[in-house]
Amino acid sequence: MKFKIFHAPDGANSGSGDTDTRVLTPPPVLHSADPDAPTKITAREVSVFYGDKQALHDVSLDIPDKTVTALIGPSGCGKSTFLRTMNRMNDTIPGARVVGRIEMDGEDVNAKSVDPVLLRARVGMVFQKPNPFPKTIYENVAYGPRIHGLADGKPELDGIVEDSLKRAGLWEEVADRLHSPGTGLSGGQQQRLVIARAIAVEPEVILMDEPCSALDPIATARIEELIDELRERYCIVIVTHSMAQAARVSQRTAFFHLGRLIETGDTEDIFTNPRERRTLDYITGRFG
Amino acid sequence: MTDAAIPPGKPTPAAGAERTDRLRAGLKRRYAREGRFKLYGLLAIGVAVGFLLLLLGRIFDQGHTAFYAHTLTVPVYMDPARIDQAYPQGTNFEQLVAEQQLARLGIADDEQGTQSTAMRGLFSSELKFVAADLIRDRPALIGETVPIPAPLSDDADLYFKGEISRDTPADQRRLSDQQLAWLDGMKADGMVTSHFNSALFTKGDSTEPELAGVLGAVVGSALMLLVTALIALPLGVGAALYLEEFAPKGRITNLIEVNINNLAAVPSIIYGLLGLALFINWMHLPRASPLVGGLVLALMALPTIIIATRSSLKAVPPSIREAALAMGASKTQTLFHHTLPLAMPGVMTGAIISMAHALGETAPLLLIGMVSFVPGIPAGLSEPTGALPSLIYIWENASERAFHERTAAAIMVLLAFMIVMNAAAVLLRRRFERRW
Amino acid sequence: MTWFFLPILIVASIAAWFGARGLAERRQRGIHAHSRPAQFGAWALIWTAVPALVVLIAAAVFGPAIEGSLIMGGAPEAVSELDPLRRGAFFGDARAIGAGQPATQIWPAPYAELLPAEGARVAGIGRMLDLGTVVLAALAALLGALFVFSRIRPDMRARNRVEGWVVALLFVSSAVAVLTTVGIIASLVFDSLRFFASVPIFEFLFGTQWSPQTAIRADQVGSTGAFGALPLFAGTFLIMLIAMVVAAPVGLFAAIYLSEYAGPAFRATVKPVLEVLAGVPTVVYGFFAALTVGPAFREFFNGLGALLVGGPLDGIGQYLMLVQNQMALVAGAVMGIMLIPFVSSLSDDIINAVPQSLRDGSYAMGATKSETVKRVLLPAALPGVAGAMLLAMSRAIGETMIVTMAAGLAARLTLNPLDTVTTVTVQIVTLLTGDQEFNSPKTLAAFGLGLTLFLVTLALNIIAQRIVHTYRQQYD
Repeated sequence: MKFKIFHAPDGANSGSGDTDTRVLTPPPVLHSADPDAPTKITAREVSVFYGDKQALHDVSLDIPDKTVTALIGPSGCGKSTFLRTMNRMNDTIPGARVVGRIEMDGEDVNAKSVDPVLLRARVGMVFQKPNPFPKTIYENVAYGPRIHGLADGKPELDGIVEDSLKRAGLWEEVADRLHSPGTGLSGGQQQRLVIARAIAVEPEVILMDEPCSALDPIATARIEELIDELRERYCIVIVTHSMAQAARVSQRTAFFHLGRLIETGDTEDIFTNPRERRTLDYITGRFG
Repeated sequence: MTDAAIPPGKPTPAAGAERTDRLRAGLKRRYAREGRFKLYGLLAIGVAVGFLLLLLGRIFDQGHTAFYAHTLTVPVYMDPARIDQAYPQGTNFEQLVAEQQLARLGIADDEQGTQSTAMRGLFSSELKFVAADLIRDRPALIGETVPIPAPLSDDADLYFKGEISRDTPADQRRLSDQQLAWLDGMKADGMVTSHFNSALFTKGDSTEPELAGVLGAVVGSALMLLVTALIALPLGVGAALYLEEFAPKGRITNLIEVNINNLAAVPSIIYGLLGLALFINWMHLPRASPLVGGLVLALMALPTIIIATRSSLKAVPPSIREAALAMGASKTQTLFHHTLPLAMPGVMTGAIISMAHALGETAPLLLIGMVSFVPGIPAGLSEPTGALPSLIYIWENASERAFHERTAAAIMVLLAFMIVMNAAAVLLRRRFERRW
Repeated sequence: MTWFFLPILIVASIAAWFGARGLAERRQRGIHAHSRPAQFGAWALIWTAVPALVVLIAAAVFGPAIEGSLIMGGAPEAVSELDPLRRGAFFGDARAIGAGQPATQIWPAPYAELLPAEGARVAGIGRMLDLGTVVLAALAALLGALFVFSRIRPDMRARNRVEGWVVALLFVSSAVAVLTTVGIIASLVFDSLRFFASVPIFEFLFGTQWSPQTAIRADQVGSTGAFGALPLFAGTFLIMLIAMVVAAPVGLFAAIYLSEYAGPAFRATVKPVLEVLAGVPTVVYGFFAALTVGPAFREFFNGLGALLVGGPLDGIGQYLMLVQNQMALVAGAVMGIMLIPFVSSLSDDIINAVPQSLRDGSYAMGATKSETVKRVLLPAALPGVAGAMLLAMSRAIGETMIVTMAAGLAARLTLNPLDTVTTVTVQIVTLLTGDQEFNSPKTLAAFGLGLTLFLVTLALNIIAQRIVHTYRQQYD
């Protein structure tokens, strides 16, 4: 009996994100944060419980618009949990409970009046492993506009798809095969496809949960460049294992440890002059 | 990475607001669709659960009346002129009783015996045997008037259970107005008593519904399951052990695996054809015997047992095997001292469930001859016998209405056995389940 | 006779076990031996029991053929000249008479006169073969035991020998599964070939007339019956279609609700209920279909017909008034209900195999649950669900009791669900449960139908299992 072997996309299983093997990337260029950027998201004393277990303790954090904010910290520190509170993805986990207040543009996202469906149309998300739907490239990008009814007719939808793919830097690679399956792309391309899918609904915020941990260094570099470009239009929050990546792409950094927010500030300051001992230990590699 | 056109600027506030409106506009419709979709899911489950309740309810409704029956106790004058003391079985007690009953009511029988025939239709032929046995044991009773208890006939029994109604036009029911009047009279005289229908559980099949019981079929099914268990269990477990622990992983093992999966999905009637051709026509084993039935069911149960055993063997962690091997135990010793005992609860659970399944299997039994009427209780593996499911099929086909309630009752007995077996499997799983 | 020999063999084997163990113990005293005495015992037991059992099994399998040729060899001329079917029936009756039972039919002269003598001869051959088998088996057991006892020495590696035997026995067990398949195919093909010798295969597959009843009197000229199975295939297909129309949506929606919407408590209640539904024997479904659903449907359609009669739809009304208990719709609908738990548990497994990351991706886009199911999960699970449906179809085609009790016997080429139709399985049961001799074309036709049924369900199963297997690998 012959079975079809499902090939992993090239380089998808290269080293995980926390060992810094990115010899190909240039030395970190630290972007300074724009001090005038308005605050997009305000978190106040946010705690998350999974059943009886508390995963996040009283996190308060301001996230500025048109800025890349990196959430760093060792695994299990609550950074992903915090990320998922911002688009209420924790609602989909049975037994998860969020307390505290998260405001987006001054509106409480956990309020009864806020519909998670509408919220998620405003807050896009990119996951650790590229998860294109088993559909064509075109259908993947058109998914959001279709379900939300954002396009009138095919020409407009075509426009949105092209536009989103261009912004995700994927258009030139896939323009001639829009109707082949999205799962046939390489890992890095899949991740950019997922980003295109997220921006097709014109979100205001994009959440990225370790978007490069399954990618090889070259694909990672492209995603990082893309993140830098997207900063022009969106508020981006990225969870990363790799401190080098945080230093490369973000302007603000928040350091989490054991479910608590330890320190937050401009990326430059955090990496060159941390106030907290634990932050220093972490970024110098004493634990992690 | 520099794609030509990055659309400039941020969306104007107006565009953002328009977008939000648009999102909201669609939302109501989307949630309506969501609600409908969820409702379909609930409806589907409702259909399944509702049907199960309907099925069980109908079977109980049709079958519960079979668990009680009516006995008629008539005073019989043991007429010395009509009873031969040496050969009481030769006496037509039914006619004797019918005539005496008519005489009591002051009704004269006509030339054709229409009246006495109608009267005889009210009680079971069992009366004859009860009376004959009594005379054989106590000949002194001849000349006396003795109360003789005997089951009512199936139709009379149904009348007292309310299954035959006076409202039905007389030509459409089995009992005439006169017979109903007689029955009412007997009831008023206190001759009719209602009691638990023990015949149902103590007798074999019979052509008379009021005398038919499930015991023969229960014993037949039990003998068959015994043969099935004795053959399928060792073979199934052995095959699984070989495939899981010894077989070289390769083309042939793969083929056997595919083969077993397919065998598990072969229609049961095909196994019946196999049994007919192989065991009966080729090996000349006795038709309709528990031996052949058990063999066929064993072949059917085999793949299920193999699959269940393999999956519980797979669940035993390799570390246990490695620990035993490292102690110097041979592969066989490791298997029989450690792996198999640990996998045993899972094996037994799978075996019981497949036995319960075999108990309810009908089609193959019909093909190996278990469709004919077999009275009495089977005493051996090579005697013709009935089985519970085939008895259900035979009774369902019977024309007497009284068999319908008994069919439902037999189904209740079958389901009870299956519930007990499945409950045993669940208990076994709960009691010994181990999470690694 | 062999039944009396078996207990003797068991006792002898146990005796061999004790004997070999004792002997090994005595010979090993003071020596560090490779194998334990009990292992010598086991070795002796195996060598006593297995050779004898091999003889007995071989006799059970090949004995009939030897017996048949012996009986044939000494048959009187008149009997040898009979055609094979009649000859088989003659010796069947001779065997019955030899065993003291009555013959199944009345034989004309000269056969009636030959029967008693032939009966005695056939019984004699049977006795001789039985005796030969037992003697041979006893001899095999004895030789086996001697072989072991002559080899009990301290340096003998009895454990390895025993383990070799154990593995061999396990291998034989797994070979039984394969032999079952071989047996199924052999028995179906063998008797089907005999059937197709009298009825051309083309006529069987594409003929539209099915009336095997006339074939009971095979000796009469011109009444060989009609064996065109197309109406049976049509009936089977129709009922399968109705069953799938019920089972596919209901089963799939139940699976979706259970895996995507239901809370743990709801699941824990409903799943056992579905398991009970799956465990109800098909004869019970058949009873329910025949005595509850059938009459209810008939009353409904007759009532509907009564309303329509005299109106503009008078023709339809007249037809509906005549609808019977036994219709394709009843059998199909009840079979569909029977298949719901089957479809739903297979679909449940398949939907659960879709990775959570796809659900997350869809929810993060702001999709509702139903949108996620319809646009992401179902398309992703499509091959698996298709495989599950094929398995359910195979189940529906092979299902026997519901159709036997509720579908009817009239072989009609129709797609009208209110008509009485018959199926392949119903006809197999009908052909083989009457009282007729085994070798008539009528009974052989059942094997032709069985072979067709086996091949179709096998093809469906293999395709379905391939699809599901490939699907599962994709998400592993």
